[in-house]
Amino acid sequence: MKKKIRIVVARLGMDAHWRGSIVVARALRDAGLEVIYLGNQMPGTIVATAIQEDADIVGLSTLSGNHMILAPEVVRLLREEDVDGPTVILGGTIPPDDIPRLKEAGIAEVFGTGTSLKKITDYITGTSLTTQGDYQKST
Amino acid sequence: MSRLFDKNAIEDIDREKDQWQKEIYQPAEGEEKVFETLSGIPVEPLYTPAHTAGMDYLNDLGFPGQEPYVRGVYPTMYRGRTWTLRQLAGFGPAEETNKRYKFLLKEGATGINGVFDYPTLRGFDSTDPFARADAGRGGVAIDTIEDMRILFEGIPIDKISTSLVTCQPICNISVQSMYFASAEMRNVPLDKLTGTSQNDFLMETVITVAPELLPPRFSFKLSCDAIEYCTKHVPRWNPISFAGYNYRESGCSAAQEVAFVIANATACSEELILRGLEVDSFAPRLSFFLSAHNDFFEEIAKYRAARRIWFHIMKERFGAKDPRSLRLRFHVQTAGVALTAQQPLNNISRAAYHALSAVLGGAQSVHIDGYDEALCTPTELSSLTALRTNQILQLETRATNTIDPLGGSYFVETLTNKVEEETLRLLDEIDGMGGIVKAAATGWIHKEISNSAYEYQQAIESGKMPIVGVNCYQMEEEELPVDLFQVPETLQIQEQKLKRIKNERNGSHVREALDAVARCCEQDGNLMEVIVESVKSRVTQGEISQTLKGSYGTWEPPLF
Repeated sequence: MKKKIRIVVARLGMDAHWRGSIVVARALRDAGLEVIYLGNQMPGTIVATAIQEDADIVGLSTLSGNHMILAPEVVRLLREEDVDGPTVILGGTIPPDDIPRLKEAGIAEVFGTGTSLKKITDYITGTSLTTQGDYQKST
Repeated sequence: MSRLFDKNAIEDIDREKDQWQKEIYQPAEGEEKVFETLSGIPVEPLYTPAHTAGMDYLNDLGFPGQEPYVRGVYPTMYRGRTWTLRQLAGFGPAEETNKRYKFLLKEGATGINGVFDYPTLRGFDSTDPFARADAGRGGVAIDTIEDMRILFEGIPIDKISTSLVTCQPICNISVQSMYFASAEMRNVPLDKLTGTSQNDFLMETVITVAPELLPPRFSFKLSCDAIEYCTKHVPRWNPISFAGYNYRESGCSAAQEVAFVIANATACSEELILRGLEVDSFAPRLSFFLSAHNDFFEEIAKYRAARRIWFHIMKERFGAKDPRSLRLRFHVQTAGVALTAQQPLNNISRAAYHALSAVLGGAQSVHIDGYDEALCTPTELSSLTALRTNQILQLETRATNTIDPLGGSYFVETLTNKVEEETLRLLDEIDGMGGIVKAAATGWIHKEISNSAYEYQQAIESGKMPIVGVNCYQMEEEELPVDLFQVPETLQIQEQKLKRIKNERNGSHVREALDAVARCCEQDGNLMEVIVESVKSRVTQGEISQTLKGSYGTWEPPLF
């Protein structure tokens, strides 16, 4: 049996907006992914959960403007733990000027306001196939 | 009886209309387009007197300023006084937001609408480890009464009305108290203050959930404490603004928005009556905050339906007699969720339509969103453009010449009835669950809203709901024609202020103040009575929240 792609979804820090993260999480679940939804969390907890759950993807959401501080922190902590993967992606109200800096900091992709669910789902299934070679390991 | 039309005339019209629809009106071949409102109410090709034949003019519509207030809450409406131009503002430290307030007032804003940052809204100090990355974001940072003093420095708070968007009761109980306490310290008597606070327990427990929430029944208690306090001491203050706008932003339909605010207002009224208050002592000061979304006519119908429902509940369920208790007064914000990051200048047109629907629906005050809000906090230019859009609507369009100009429109009256019907059905369902506090605690409201949000997104996804620039008329490699706002440095400034204050203040006064709060929780007293005094010894907002959580515990909301 193939292992489902597993994604940890979290809202960063104090961001108040759950609409986007829940809609995306539901779309991913409907597309057959295994979704672990955390609500508001700080980078430390997000990383600990991602490792514990052996997640393929960490999906971060924020509309509050805290992304330049907290999103790179998630990548940094993951690297510190020296784990192979997971891919970190980010969605929300992200000023376009910040996107290159986020990518430099190791965020694999940024999905701004108005991104279609299909684009996000395609990205995740595509990424998991190519970079997470072991995602098909049997369970 | 004051039927709108004569029975024979209706029969003639109905017959002719059937014939017209059969013989003249022909949908384009192969066209399977569904015509419905944004909330899914089916819309017919044409409305005629037959649709409103069952209505009784005097009972169902009446006159402005008279029961059932459908046509407007005041007799003269905008002919007497136009809506308040209340532009939302707040970011960074209090020093910076104070400048923006003064700028907006100088440019003709007629009220202040102050928004607080994420940590303040949730009762955290800027320096809390969970809060640091969000200090100054989405609003102004308030940690102690000193920040409140700076925020309103040089602004005549005895003359100008102030809206404090203290969404969560845990925020309101301390931030509102700081506002009152600093007014006292400026020698402004509390009975001179006019304004509104938000103070909505659904904001805390369903709509904008965050870490370490109070359980719904205690959040609700704090909200009622503030209403009770204001009823006794700050009679011209609106101590709550039921935040339908934010419910809608999270995903509600038009009817859900109205049903949830009215169920919330009903629960507050029941609680305050249980506490021994007369309904007419507090109901005139209950206020509402609604959204203006994309469906132009449905929004107008929504405001009109809300007024009729509230009137009946206040009169029949609570026996209110003061006409002011029977009027649903509301502030409108144009829908932020309808704005697009793509081709952002298009948002100026969107928000102008939204605001027009609010005005045709009889709003008491209107905030128009900045065109850049899907990208960042509004810049000075986008704030000013929004204010000017509001002024153009008020001064140039002449939409204000007559009251309720769409009253009597066969379509708008029918839609008003439909939104009312669906809202009443939801209100019954909530009553059946034991009221809104229980419906929040079981996760039912969260589920309703997230289902609606998911359907909405699916409709965009499938193209069934066109959004210009998003799923049609997109532009490749778009150059952004706007400058983006940068939040000024906040954390360091707040950190320094807090450090200094903690050194300066009298430690035993602080302990006494916090003990008094804890004791009040144990004795189930009114917390605002105590906190208005406590904040004077410069206890921080976070210290008050921690004390409340120590007494009431915290609650894990449904997540997904």
